[in-house]
Amino acid sequence: MPLVCPDGAVVAYAWKRQLAGQAGASAVDRTRLALKAFTDQKRRFFPHLEDEVLNHLHDGESGIAKRPRMPAGNGELEEKTLSEILKNLENEVPNMKISTYRRLDWSKRASSLASLMDDDFVDPSKELNLQNMGKLRPGSVTTPIDQVAVIELLVPSIFRVVVSLHPAGSVDPDAVAFFSPTEGGSYLHARGLSVHHVFKHVTEHADKALQYFISVEPSKALSMLLRWIADYQTLFAKLCSKCRRLLLMDKSLALLLPPVHRPYHQISSIGSDHQEAYHIGCSSYDA
Amino acid sequence: MPRRRLMHWHPNPGATLNSQILAEACSCAESLGGTKDGRWKTSIISCRPITRDSMGAGGRLPPDVPGELLGVALHEHPGLYFSILRTHRLVLQADAAFPHVMEKLQSYKARVSLDFEGFQYQLGDFCLRIGKCAPNNSETMRGIIMEVEYYPLSSIEKSRAIMVDFFDIWQETLAKKSLPGRFIHVESNFSEYGLSDHYSFQHTAVQYATCLQQLMAVRA
Repeated sequence: MPLVCPDGAVVAYAWKRQLAGQAGASAVDRTRLALKAFTDQKRRFFPHLEDEVLNHLHDGESGIAKRPRMPAGNGELEEKTLSEILKNLENEVPNMKISTYRRLDWSKRASSLASLMDDDFVDPSKELNLQNMGKLRPGSVTTPIDQVAVIELLVPSIFRVVVSLHPAGSVDPDAVAFFSPTEGGSYLHARGLSVHHVFKHVTEHADKALQYFISVEPSKALSMLLRWIADYQTLFAKLCSKCRRLLLMDKSLALLLPPVHRPYHQISSIGSDHQEAYHIGCSSYDA
Repeated sequence: MPRRRLMHWHPNPGATLNSQILAEACSCAESLGGTKDGRWKTSIISCRPITRDSMGAGGRLPPDVPGELLGVALHEHPGLYFSILRTHRLVLQADAAFPHVMEKLQSYKARVSLDFEGFQYQLGDFCLRIGKCAPNNSETMRGIIMEVEYYPLSSIEKSRAIMVDFFDIWQETLAKKSLPGRFIHVESNFSEYGLSDHYSFQHTAVQYATCLQQLMAVRA
C-alpha cells in the first residue's frame, strides 16, 4: 500500500510502486512518472502558483511556449520566440558563438570535448573544425527550434556557458553554468561546476542572476540572462569598479580572482563601458 | 594547455645567488596561500655538432650548420623531447628517444646539461614552480627561475593582463623581503617560431631556451 500522510496526501515516491515488477522501465519512464507525481502534489498544496508551465510539462517536451505578446515599450526589441532571441543576440554579440542542442546531443558534445581537450597537442583549429563539421557535413541536421533544450554560448579563449531550457523549445531558462573553453566531459552541463575557481564563482553568481531575472520578468528572463552573460567577455580584462584592480586576493576564500561579479539589477547595453564589474569582496551582492 | 610564464632571478650588481633567495621565494608563495604540491624538473641539454675530418681543413663546420642545438625535456611529459634551433627560430616536438637517434647518427652531441628543479605550489587557479638551475649532477646554482601557470586560460593574448597583474602582486610580496635582486620576465617572440596564440608545450620549450640565454647573460 502506498504511504498516505495524515492529511491524505500520497507520498510522491508512491510512483515507484507503479514500476514494481517493471524491471525494464527506462530512466525516461521513471523520470516522467516522478515529475507527474511531484507536479500533482504541487498543484494540490500550492494552487496559487502559476500552472501555465505545468500545462506545458504535461503536454510533453515539445511545442514552443506561447507567451502573451509584450507591448513594445521603450524601443526594445520584441522577442517573443526563442528564434528571435537568439537571432538578435547573434547580431548584437557577433564574437559570441551560439549553438543549440537537444539534451542528449549536448551530452554527446560535452563528452566529445573531453576527448578533444585530453590531447595536449591539440591543433588549436580542431575546436573550430569540430563546430564547423556540424554545419558543413552533408545531410547534417540542425536542432529544430522546438526541441532546443540546451544553449551553448562560446566566446573563444574566454568562456563556454551552458544554459538549460525547460521545457525544451521554450524561452524559460532553468539553469546556467560557466566553464573554461578548455574543459570537456560529462560534467559540462547547466548544473555542472567548472574545475576552475574563477568559473565556479561566476556560476554561483549567475545562478542568483537567473533567479532574479525569473522573479522580476519571467517572459524576458532568457533574453536578460543571455545579454548579461555576454558581458563576461571582459572577465579577464575588466578592472574592478571599486578597487580598480584586476586580480585581488579574496581573504575569506584565500583565492586570487578577477572581478567575477557583474550587477544584474540594472543591465546596460552589451559592451557598454558603463557595465561594472566587482570582486566578490568589493561587491554589494552576497557572496 | 594552460598559459605559462617563465621568470628568472636577476641579481643586483655585485650580488650573488644563494639558496636563501630560493627559500624566501618559496616562503612568498606560501604567504600568498600557496600549498606545496610536490616537486618539478625540467632539463635543458645543449648539443654541439660533431666535427669530422671530412669537413675540411681543421674540421671546420660549414657556415650553414647551426652551432648549437638545444634540447628541452619537460617534467610532466617524460615521453617528449623538444629540439630548438635558436638561430633558425625552429622548435620541434619529438619522442624522448630523439637524442639517442642523434647520438647514433653522430650529428650532434650533448655537451652541457642543466636541470631546473624545485617545488610546486598550488594557488587556486594558479600554479607556481620555483626552483634553481644547476648543472646535471652538480649542486652549483646557476640561476633561480619561477614558472607561473594559469589554468583557466590557454590564449597568450587573453591571459596577458592576468599574468602581468599576478607578476605585480608577486613583486609586491617579494619586495617586503628586501632581497638583492628581482624576478624578471623576458618575452619570447613566439610568432618568430611559428607558434600560435594557443599555448602549448612548444611555447614552454621556447621560454626555457630564452630563459637560459638570459641566465648565461647574467653570469657573463
